[in-house]
Amino acid sequence: MKTIGRRIRRTEDARLMTGRGTYMEDLQPLPNLHHAAILRSPYPHARIKGIHTERAEQMPGVKGVVTGRDVARWTQPFPVGVTAPVEYYSLAVEKVRFAGEPVAVVVAKNRYLAEDALDAIEVEYEPLPAVVDIEKALEPDAPVLHDQVGTNIANDRTFDYGDVDGAFSEADLVVSHKFNFPKFSATPVETYGVIAHHDPSENHFTIWSNFHGPFTLQSVMAAALQVPSNRLRIIIPKDIGGSYGIKSGVFPYMVLMAVVSKKVGLPVKWIEDRQEHLFASSSGTDRVTWIEAAVKRDGTITGLKMKIVDNVGGYIRAPEPASLYRTHSNTTGAYKVKNLRMHTVAVMTNKSPTGLIRGYGGPQHYFPLERLIPMIAKQLGMDPADVIRKNLIAKDDFPYRTASGGMYDSGDYQKGFETVLECAKYDEWKKRQKEARAEGRYLGIGLACIVEPSGSNMGYITMALTPEERAKSLPKSGCAEGATVSIDPMGGISVRISTVPSGQGHETVASQIVGEVLGVDPHSVRVIAEMDTSTSPWTVASGSYSSRFAPVGSSAVYHAAQKVRKKILEIAGKQLQVPSEALELKDGKAIGKDDPSKSVSLRRLIGSAHWNPQALPEGVEPGIHETAFFTIPTAMPPDEKDLVNGSVTYGFVADAVLVEVDPETGQIDILDYVTVHDAGKLLNPLIVDGQILGGLVHGLGGALYEELAYDANGQFLSGSFMDYLCPTATEIPPVTVKHLETPSPLTPLGAKGLGEGNTMSAPVVIANAVADALQPFDLSIDTLPLTPDRIWSLIRKAENKQPILEGEK
Amino acid sequence: MNGKGNIHLNGPVEVVFEKLRDPEVLQACIMGCQKMERVGENRYTADLAIGIASVKGKYKADISLEDIEAPRHFKLVLHGKGAPGFVDAEGVLDLTPHGEQTTDLAYTYQAEVGGKIAAVGQRMLGGVSKLIIKDFFKKIKKEMEKSQKSA
Repeated sequence: MKTIGRRIRRTEDARLMTGRGTYMEDLQPLPNLHHAAILRSPYPHARIKGIHTERAEQMPGVKGVVTGRDVARWTQPFPVGVTAPVEYYSLAVEKVRFAGEPVAVVVAKNRYLAEDALDAIEVEYEPLPAVVDIEKALEPDAPVLHDQVGTNIANDRTFDYGDVDGAFSEADLVVSHKFNFPKFSATPVETYGVIAHHDPSENHFTIWSNFHGPFTLQSVMAAALQVPSNRLRIIIPKDIGGSYGIKSGVFPYMVLMAVVSKKVGLPVKWIEDRQEHLFASSSGTDRVTWIEAAVKRDGTITGLKMKIVDNVGGYIRAPEPASLYRTHSNTTGAYKVKNLRMHTVAVMTNKSPTGLIRGYGGPQHYFPLERLIPMIAKQLGMDPADVIRKNLIAKDDFPYRTASGGMYDSGDYQKGFETVLECAKYDEWKKRQKEARAEGRYLGIGLACIVEPSGSNMGYITMALTPEERAKSLPKSGCAEGATVSIDPMGGISVRISTVPSGQGHETVASQIVGEVLGVDPHSVRVIAEMDTSTSPWTVASGSYSSRFAPVGSSAVYHAAQKVRKKILEIAGKQLQVPSEALELKDGKAIGKDDPSKSVSLRRLIGSAHWNPQALPEGVEPGIHETAFFTIPTAMPPDEKDLVNGSVTYGFVADAVLVEVDPETGQIDILDYVTVHDAGKLLNPLIVDGQILGGLVHGLGGALYEELAYDANGQFLSGSFMDYLCPTATEIPPVTVKHLETPSPLTPLGAKGLGEGNTMSAPVVIANAVADALQPFDLSIDTLPLTPDRIWSLIRKAENKQPILEGEK
Repeated sequence: MNGKGNIHLNGPVEVVFEKLRDPEVLQACIMGCQKMERVGENRYTADLAIGIASVKGKYKADISLEDIEAPRHFKLVLHGKGAPGFVDAEGVLDLTPHGEQTTDLAYTYQAEVGGKIAAVGQRMLGGVSKLIIKDFFKKIKKEMEKSQKSA
């Protein structure tokens, strides 16, 4: 029965839609759980001169208070992949470096008592000057956050590929601009949650948390706790209420609560509240990009220079500065640009620390790259669509090696781009725009083409180090995932996955794959998504991030199912006295491909494996319990020339957007949004469409609404959903999604990852459309989000500078 | 955040000046002030309970009067802290006699807040501080009228 690729309804939904999901707050894994509350700094930058906890400790129900002193004594600073000596602990030690930084923890019988006791803790602060702006933080007289680092720079690298100077000296035109991308987040419905238990008899920690990976951070946590990694057991419930990358930032709190449990001698539970989440959980980096393109008169881009500076907040923490390098392999996007120079910098400022977020580095990257295309078009007097056409990688070029080492596995970008123009009725839009302008209305068209990397090769994170620094340690390319398929004596099929879904529907897709391979109804297959580092098959790369389920995780499931299939067929071959190759699994039976009279039921075969191991064919082990690990050979460690293939599969997204801007109010109205995707073979198109819409809405937030804002003194200003605006159902524009399916040659099912693409493309495509709408004004759109007040101010400023003459409108 | 304003008060400038430094009067006139004590020459402590947007909380405040040029001018410096964060504020008051029985008072202020109040109250802060200050002077005005009647 063909089930892979079908629009099968999600098995998860039955429990999620009836309120039977199992989240962190639902867990009560141990008796005598106590509750923690965290005291946070109101200062963005200050020395801690003293903490007085006596009064809090005396309060009824309070079991203990933990401060930075305890954390410094009982843990090591978290390891991080840069050479700058930054000491990051789970609680502030001696100094606070961002408003909201945890300073102390109270444990009490319940959360109410714990929170009340926070008020009784007195902290003496000596405020220090703060810096939050990227460019200001780089100035020589800027306040320095980490004395032992000496500057605010946590990472600084340069890369040179091809002949950049040649390209620029031979260019007919050089187009350059500076862009600012805001600090924005994801606001999952479920906030961080941790339950920690320390067993002193073995010095063993068990931590339950809604941490979704990557599991490179398990070793970071074990190192911080100073225990062998098998003394740190992490258990993740089967349901996580969304993450979008943000929940990987829970790891410092996992370590914090582990220390708290150790000190107070009790199992401890902490659930983050919404204010804490916005204040201090995690976010994407804000970024400044200086970009320059060498262009030929016909629109061909021959070279690119970029300087990018990411703001990683008060402490650089793992996996940062990976945001700088996640898109390194696809820096040149969908375009054939062979000459590339990069300068990448991570700077620390008094903002909250950053980490994974949907699109990780992609929204920041494609904003300047794709904004540049219409700027080039304008200077050359060309249609932006023609500039894109001129530069797109051609179908015959695949597999395509990018300037920086990316291996684009497959694609047909021209077809994708022409499809989006066709679906959008691009020429008609242009006509509408012209007519609207004549009426004094401002319509604009935005286009963007992006390459969507998926299934990251953890080796890309080591691009933060020079090739010489990298050579000192083991080459790193972690890109593997494991899965187990087992069948019990009664024939019940179970699948254990280690991809830690946070709502993506992995259970459904895994059951589709196993159902098809084993010839059974997918609904009969049970998928266990709970993760336990002591019992699940996992790797350093496990987890649900970088859209890795479709290319890597599902492939591990497929291979584990194939192992089971092979075993069952071998047993069947012996019982039916035919070669196993002559048999197939169908409708719950092993049956002769050419001779259907040769048939035996799956139940009987499985029963033999369990009940009668002596009758199994030679070399076949009893029981049915097969684990497979899958990796992709192109996920190589970065080489000595700094070439890296940072992801295993590369999808393609082409977007076209039509907007109308009201110049009186600065309000942007998205009239139409068309997006064309190529993510290889789709495993479940129903889930795919949901993922694409979700990613698009996330990108819409970055384009128009969301920013974790700070004032110049470093005070955080967007601590509630009244201040941090997220798109809701009423803000969603009409969206048309179209698919192309160019299978990946690297994955067994031809699938590529998806769901992050529109988070990368929506901010820039909307910015392009707004810029196009406002062409009659002399202004540039180079800072997000495009809030009405920002647009309104830009228009007013442009009007004051250069009044628009009637004739020019 | 900063602002300024002025108000016309009944009472000679010397009386107004003294009233503005009387902890009992201040406690009665400052919104949410539950306790006010003189702890030294021109130094006070106060317990304040203020709600700004969704952030309700109690603050312990140290208040001092500086640059005193009796009875015409002084600066009020407030440092308050509590569970919702901190407030650092400075107000400068200038008193000018308006005839013999009334006084013109002009004030400027600036304030900085930090922590939760900044994170969730920032939008409301300008409005709330204006409200608190206006309310303060309105009550001072009433206080002056009351004391004049009783005098």
